[in-house]
Amino acid sequence: MRLNLVLELLDVPGQLLDALDPIGKLGANIVTIIHQRDVKTERGTIPVHLTLEGDEETLKRVLNSIEENNIQIIEVDGVVKKETLTTILIGNIIDQDLKETVRELNSIDGVRVADLNLKMSDKPEKSASRIVIETDYGRKESLIQNIKEFGKSKGFLVINEV
Amino acid sequence: MKLCIVGFGAVGGGVLKVISMKREMLKEKYGLDIDVVAVTDRSGAAINPDGLDIELLINTKEKTGKISEYPEYGVPDVKSQKVLEDVDYDCLVEVTPTNIDDGEPAKTHMLSAMNNGKDVVTSNKGPLSLCFSELVNTSKSNKTYFKYEASVGGAMPIINFAHETLAGNNITSVLGILNGTTNYILSRMANEGSSYEQTLNEAQELGIAETDPTQDVEGIDAACKIVILANSVLNRDVTIRDVHMEGISKITPESIELAKKEGFLIKLIGEASYNNLEVSPRLVREGSPFAVDGTLNVATLMTDLADDVTVVGKGAGSIETASAILSDIISIWNARS
Repeated sequence: MRLNLVLELLDVPGQLLDALDPIGKLGANIVTIIHQRDVKTERGTIPVHLTLEGDEETLKRVLNSIEENNIQIIEVDGVVKKETLTTILIGNIIDQDLKETVRELNSIDGVRVADLNLKMSDKPEKSASRIVIETDYGRKESLIQNIKEFGKSKGFLVINEV
Repeated sequence: MKLCIVGFGAVGGGVLKVISMKREMLKEKYGLDIDVVAVTDRSGAAINPDGLDIELLINTKEKTGKISEYPEYGVPDVKSQKVLEDVDYDCLVEVTPTNIDDGEPAKTHMLSAMNNGKDVVTSNKGPLSLCFSELVNTSKSNKTYFKYEASVGGAMPIINFAHETLAGNNITSVLGILNGTTNYILSRMANEGSSYEQTLNEAQELGIAETDPTQDVEGIDAACKIVILANSVLNRDVTIRDVHMEGISKITPESIELAKKEGFLIKLIGEASYNNLEVSPRLVREGSPFAVDGTLNVATLMTDLADDVTVVGKGAGSIETASAILSDIISIWNARS
């Protein structure tokens, strides 16, 4: 799971190091970091854009520890965190237009198709496709419902995560 | 304690074997002396108010296939219902085959026993998944005990576990693999890469799947159990008609392979919660509690205090199912004495 953060640091030496220190210690991975000293907020502080990677629990702990260190978090992921959802569709997805399927899924608010794998069978209606979807945190339940309805309308057997 | 056992198939036979195996222990540990006063099957009944010989019951059934051939006390062509009306007993053990259309004749057997003030223990899913509240209310209004642990998950403890061990918890949902046959087929397909039809044939040859596998592979059996759990554990008033059902017959080796590459297995999962009743193939993580192989059953109960609790056990088998029935009989005995 990835998490985009915007932190607010004082323009004082050592601030950035203090902010990053607990992240590695707690087991999260820093994917990107954008630190521009010349872009300042109205209050004279420096916004730092971070992308972290780790499992949900680790990222939660990281957020807590940042807050405990009195570092301001301006933004969490624009909307918060992302989750991924894997689903398998059995049915003739080629007949049902692959592009259309992806487009329809992407049109659901806060949803992005991140990966798609196809496995063709001798009988086209038995072909299987695995779709990995990224969605905003907390949307999984309603997304599963959306995918179920989508599969039903196309005549696919939908196999969702537990 | 006088038992009347209605139905002498695999489960009925298992109950008799278990009673015979545990006779001394039951006396010593619980002061429970079981007399089987009547056993019925399609051929009729064997009835003795002073108690039948259990070994002789098992032998008679094995040799002749008919309980009415029981020496001296065999009664051919008598209906189970008539036996229940005429014989004096304390507890009915209803183990006739499950009938998912109208729950009969088990439903009538149970209701009449309850109305006569008798306790009832059953493994029969039919009446439970069609008219759960009627049965429970009839039992309550007659102040009798009604226990059905064996109806869900065979030997895997779940109903009494939820009511007794997890007492005080608010249980919000139950998720599980509740059918051993489909789990066997899906496990084999995942391990061997074989097709559904091929694997079903193999399971039938091994006696794991029935000649007509519809109830198992189309999710009907698992749906019955979901209904029982929804009623009993979640206090919902629902029947089998409220369950969304999707079986495993459309699962292909290709889909299993795709799932595996992402670290998932496909399992037939039953889900009972306040807003969902469903049996369908789902993706479960490899290495998670649901990744059980073979005919095993597994269920996770989501609770407010204890968090998630998972139980695993053998979902079928005559002795295993009889173990659940025996524990119900003992708990009724303990409550009554």
